[in-house]
Amino acid sequence: SSVAQEIKDTSVGRSKWLDAHYDPVANLYTFTSCIALSDLHGDGDNKLVVGDLGTGVCNMKLKVYRGTGLLSESTLLDLPTGLVSFLMDLHEPRTPAIAVASGPFIYVYKNLRPYFKFTLPSLEVNPLEQDVWSQAKEDRIDPMTLKEMLEGIRDKAEIPLSVKSLRYLMLDLQEMEAFVHLHKDQPIRRQTVITCIGTLKKNMADDDAVSCLVIGTENSDIYILDPEAFTILCKMSLPTTPTFMDVTGQFDVEFRITVACRNGNIYILRRDSPKPKYCIELSSHPVGLVRIGRNVVVGCTHETLHGYTQKGKKLWTAYLPAPVTTMALMDLPARAFQAVLVALANCEVHMYRDKNLICTIKTPDVVTSICFGRYGREDGTLLMTTKGGGLIVKILKRTAVFDDKDSAPGPPIAQSIRLNVPKKTKLYVDQTLRERENAVAMHRAFQMDLSRLRLATARAYVKALESSLTPVSESPTEPLKMNAVVQGLGPSFKLTLNIQNTAACRPVMNIAISFLYDEHLYSMKTAFFKIPLLVPGLNYPIDTFVECLSDKGISDIIKVFVLREGRSAPLLTAHINMPVSEGFALN
Amino acid sequence: MLLAEFQRKKRVISVRVEKTELTWSKTSRRCPGDGSVTGSEEERRTMADDTTKTDVQIPVTTDVKTPRPKKAPELPILERRNWLIHLHYIRKDYDTCKAVIKEQLHDTRGMCEYAVYVQALIMRLEGKIQESLELFQSCAILNPKSSDNLKQVARSLFLLGKHKAAIAVYNEAGRLNQKDWEINHNLGVCYIYIKDLKNAEERLNAALQQNKHDLTFMMLGKMHLLQADTEKAIEVYKSAVEFSPENTELSGTLGLLYMQLGKYQKAFEHLGNALTYDPNNFKAILAAGSMMQAHGDYDVAMNKYRVAAHAVPESPPLWNNIGMCFFGKKKYVAAISCLKRANYLSPFDWKILYNLGLVHLTMQQYASAFHFLSAAVNLRPRMSELYMLLAVALTNLDDAENARRSYEQAVQTDESDPLVNLNFAVFLYNQDDKKAALLQYQEMERKVNAQVENNSNVEFDPEMVEMAQKMATALQVAETVYWNKAGKDGKNAQRSSSNKASRSQQPLGTNQTLGQAMSSAAGYSKNIQNTAEAEVNAPSPPPDPPGDPDDDDHDVDETPETAKLKEKKRKVKAAAE
Repeated sequence: SSVAQEIKDTSVGRSKWLDAHYDPVANLYTFTSCIALSDLHGDGDNKLVVGDLGTGVCNMKLKVYRGTGLLSESTLLDLPTGLVSFLMDLHEPRTPAIAVASGPFIYVYKNLRPYFKFTLPSLEVNPLEQDVWSQAKEDRIDPMTLKEMLEGIRDKAEIPLSVKSLRYLMLDLQEMEAFVHLHKDQPIRRQTVITCIGTLKKNMADDDAVSCLVIGTENSDIYILDPEAFTILCKMSLPTTPTFMDVTGQFDVEFRITVACRNGNIYILRRDSPKPKYCIELSSHPVGLVRIGRNVVVGCTHETLHGYTQKGKKLWTAYLPAPVTTMALMDLPARAFQAVLVALANCEVHMYRDKNLICTIKTPDVVTSICFGRYGREDGTLLMTTKGGGLIVKILKRTAVFDDKDSAPGPPIAQSIRLNVPKKTKLYVDQTLRERENAVAMHRAFQMDLSRLRLATARAYVKALESSLTPVSESPTEPLKMNAVVQGLGPSFKLTLNIQNTAACRPVMNIAISFLYDEHLYSMKTAFFKIPLLVPGLNYPIDTFVECLSDKGISDIIKVFVLREGRSAPLLTAHINMPVSEGFALN
Repeated sequence: MLLAEFQRKKRVISVRVEKTELTWSKTSRRCPGDGSVTGSEEERRTMADDTTKTDVQIPVTTDVKTPRPKKAPELPILERRNWLIHLHYIRKDYDTCKAVIKEQLHDTRGMCEYAVYVQALIMRLEGKIQESLELFQSCAILNPKSSDNLKQVARSLFLLGKHKAAIAVYNEAGRLNQKDWEINHNLGVCYIYIKDLKNAEERLNAALQQNKHDLTFMMLGKMHLLQADTEKAIEVYKSAVEFSPENTELSGTLGLLYMQLGKYQKAFEHLGNALTYDPNNFKAILAAGSMMQAHGDYDVAMNKYRVAAHAVPESPPLWNNIGMCFFGKKKYVAAISCLKRANYLSPFDWKILYNLGLVHLTMQQYASAFHFLSAAVNLRPRMSELYMLLAVALTNLDDAENARRSYEQAVQTDESDPLVNLNFAVFLYNQDDKKAALLQYQEMERKVNAQVENNSNVEFDPEMVEMAQKMATALQVAETVYWNKAGKDGKNAQRSSSNKASRSQQPLGTNQTLGQAMSSAAGYSKNIQNTAEAEVNAPSPPPDPPGDPDDDDHDVDETPETAKLKEKKRKVKAAAE
C-alpha cells in the first residue's frame, strides 16, 4: 500500500530499523498489557499472541500471528484485561501456556486449547445483606421494604453490597418483583475483576523457569497464584486499584512487585510484607511503567518521563513532546542493551536510556500497544499496534549502534533563526536627518499646534456648556438625558425623542419642548408642546412628525430645545441632522 | 436506538457463550488431576459454567445440558469495565473513553461510581465545571466513604470560585483520609484565595511534611511573595530546588527572586541551571539575557533572545530587550524598530517609552525623544530619571524654561541619585546661574558622600567623576568628594584603559550599579557619538521596581531597561554642554 511505501521511504538511510511488515487494516484493538511474544509450540519460532478487544463490546478474540499472517483465532468470552505467556510446569516439550485475564477469571490456554479457568475467590458478603435476602426469599418483606433496607446497608455498612443487591437497587418498581422471584434462590456472591496481570518466577531465575501468575484486582488486592495448582500462594493489599504492574525476582527467594495505581501513586511490594513497602507519589497519572535494571521508569499524563530507584527516590525527569500512550521495555540480552520504548500521541516512538533520548521512530498512526522481543527467529523485533487497528513489525538492524549520548540537539535550532527586524529605509533616514536639523522648529510648531488644539477644544466645550448643547443636562434640579431618533424615508419623518430623568428620586415637572427649523424646508404639526411629569429612571419616548417640503434633495438641521417654564435658557439642546427626503426624489 | 443496539450485542454474546461453554466443559475433564489442592474442585466447577450462569451447586457436566430459562442470568459486575475506562482516560483518548462510559452507565443505570467519576473528570477538562460538580456529588452519594470523591467535589467548587465551600468539603475529605498531602495542599491554595495567609501557610507546610511536591513549594513561595516576604520565599524555593533540581520553573523563579534582591551571582547560577535543563525556558532566557546585556555581552544575549523570540514572538519585554541589545551594539535604527514593536505590543509600558526616549536622544532626534519621554512621564509621574531625561530633551529643544522646571521636578522626587543634581548643576551653569549651580553641586556631593558612607565599596563611573571635577573647577569649589581622596590617577588610568575592560572584570552582582550609573554623566567632554559608544553600565538593581512584583515575567524585563536608563544620562550630560 502507499502508506507502507511511505514508511519505507522515511526509514531508508540512517534508520536503525527494517520495516518487516505493516498491515494498516489488521483490525486490532488492544493494549500493551494484552500482547505477548511466546514460543507457543516449543519449536523456537516465537508467535505474537494478542488479546483483541474486538469492538469493545463484542467480537473479542485471542489472535495468534506468525510471520506476517494470522495463525489462529479463537473467541474470548469477555474483554481481555491482560495476557501473559508463562511456563506452568516442567513437562517436556517446554511449551508455555497463555493466561488471559478477563473479568473475574483467568483462562489458561495450552497449545492454543482451553486448558483451565481460574476464578477469583469471592469476597466477603455483608451478613445484613444476606439476612435481608433470606427474608425476601421467604416472602416476608415486600420489594419496597427490601429496597429501603438495602439502601440503608449501602449507606452505612463497611462491606459493600453484592451485584445482586446493586442491580436490584437500579430497578423500577414494577420490575422488582420479577427480579426477586428470579434471583431469590441464588446465593449472594460478591466478585471483583482483574485489572492487571504479570508473571513471577517460582524459584529459579532461568529464562525457562516455571512462573507464578501475579494478578491485581479492582478490589485493590494482589494475588500470587501457584503455576500448577492455581491456588493462591500469597495475598497482598494496596490502598487503591492497581493499573499496571511490573514483577521481578523469584517467589521463593525475594521479589518486588511495582504497581502503578489509579490514584496516581506507585507502590512497591516485597516478599513477606502484605502492605506496600515504598510509595512514589506522582503529580499526574502514570500511563506506563517499565523497570529497567534497578530503576523504575514511569511515563505520566503530564507529558513527562520520570526515573526512580526501586526504593522510590526520584532520579531524573525528561519532558516529552506529546502525551504518552504506552511504554515497554526493549531488552537485547545478546548485546546487553536495555532501553525504554515510549509511544507518544504524536505518532512517534521514543527510545530512552536513562533520560537520554537515543532514537526516535516515526509511525504512520498513534501506537497503542508495543512489544519488543523475539518474533519468529529474529531476536530484535519491535511489534506495535496502532489506534486505527494496524499492526507494525520492525526489525532492529544487526548493524544498528545506539550512542549513549542524548540525540536531542545541543543548542535549540531557534538560536540560528534570524530575528525579524525590518531594514532601514531611505525615507526613515531622511526623516531622521530632517528631525536632527529642525528639531527645535518641529518642537515649537508642535507645541504651538497643540496649544491651539487645546484652545479650540476648550472653546467648543465652553460653548456647548453655555448653549446646553450636551445631550445630558447637569443642572442639579433637572438632571435630564435626551436622545433623538429619526425614522422614515421622507417626505414625512417620525421624530422620536427619548427623555429620561436621571435624578435619584425627584420627579421633574413643568418641562416643555420646542423645535426650531427652517420653515421653508420642514413643517411640523406642533413645534411646541409640554411634556408630563418625568418620574426618575423611566424613559419617555415622545413622537412627533416632520414633513419635508423641499423636493431638491436637500436637508437641514432641526434644533430641539428642552425648556423649563419661566426660564429662557434651554436645559438641553439637540441638533438633529435630518436625512435627505427620498420620497420626492421618486416622484 | 442505543438500547436496541445494546440488546442486540447482548444477544450476540449469549450465543457465543453457548459455543465456548462446550469447549470449556470439555476441557474441564482434562483439567490437571490434582484433587488434593484446595479450591481446584470449585475451579473445575466454575470452569464448566459459562458466564451466563451462576449456579454453583449443580455438578459439572450434567449442568451444561439443563434448560437455560430456569436459570437466572448472570449479573455482570458493575466494575467490570473500570480498567478500560481508566486506560482510555489516562491516554487522553477522551472520545473512546466517553463512549465506554456511556455504555457502562447505560448498562448499570448510572450506578457505576468510577464511570461517573471519570465522566465528571472529563467534563471538567472540557470546562463544564458545574456539571462535573453535580456528577462528583452523585459519586459521593454512591460512595460516601471515599475521600477521592469529596476531593473532586471540592476541586470543582474551587474552580467555580467557591473557596469557602471548597474548604468545608476538603476538611470533610481530610477527616476520611488524614494522610493525604493533596488535601492539605489544596486547602492551602483555597486559603490563599480567601486571603487567610496564616492558615494557608500552616496547611502548605503540613502538606510538605506529608510529602514533598514541587507544586506545594511553588504555592508556598507565591504565598510568601504575596506577603512581600522575599527572604522567606527564597528560603522556600531554595529547599524546593534542592528537592527537585531539574524543575526549571523552580530554579527560574529562584533566579528571578535573587535578581530582585540584587544578588546577581546567585541569580545567574539558578537561571543558568534552568536553561541547562530547558534551553527554551522563556522566563529564564529573558532574565539571563538581561544580565548578560547588562555586562555588555550583547551577542550572547542576542543568541538567547533569538530562541525566546521563536517561542514567544509577541512579547513586549523581549522586544524591548532586543532593542536595547541593538542599542548597545550601536545599531540604533534596529534598536528603534525593535523598541517600536515593543511599544506597539504594549503601548502603556513606561519602560519601553523610556528606552525609546533614550535612543532618540542618542540619535539627536530630540523632538521624538520629547514625545516618548513625556508619554512615559504621564504613565509614571514620580520618577526623577524621567524628568531628568525630559529636561535634557528640552534643553536641546531650546526650551530652557521648561527644562529648568523639569529638572526641579526631578530633583524634588529624587532621593539618592547624584547624577540628577550634577546634570542640573551643569544646566544651571550653562544658564549662567552659578549660585544655583553651586547649590546643586553641593547636593550632589552630599548624595555621593551618603552613598560612600553606606557602602565603602561604591565605585563611581569615571566619566561622571571627571564631569564633577570639571564642574568643581568651573564653580571654583574645593573638592570634598570621596573620589578625590581615592586619588585621581588611579581613576583616570582606569578610565583610559577603557571602561569596557574594567567592567568585564567585575563579577556579576557586585553592587556598583549606582556608581556605574553616575559614570554615564562623565561623558560630557566627549562628543555625543563617543559617549554613546561607551559601554553599557552594569545592571542597576531595579531602583524603582516598576509596577508591582505581581508577575514574574514583568520582573524579568525590569533589569535590562534600568541598565539602559543609565546610559541615557550620559547623553544628558553631553546635551547639557
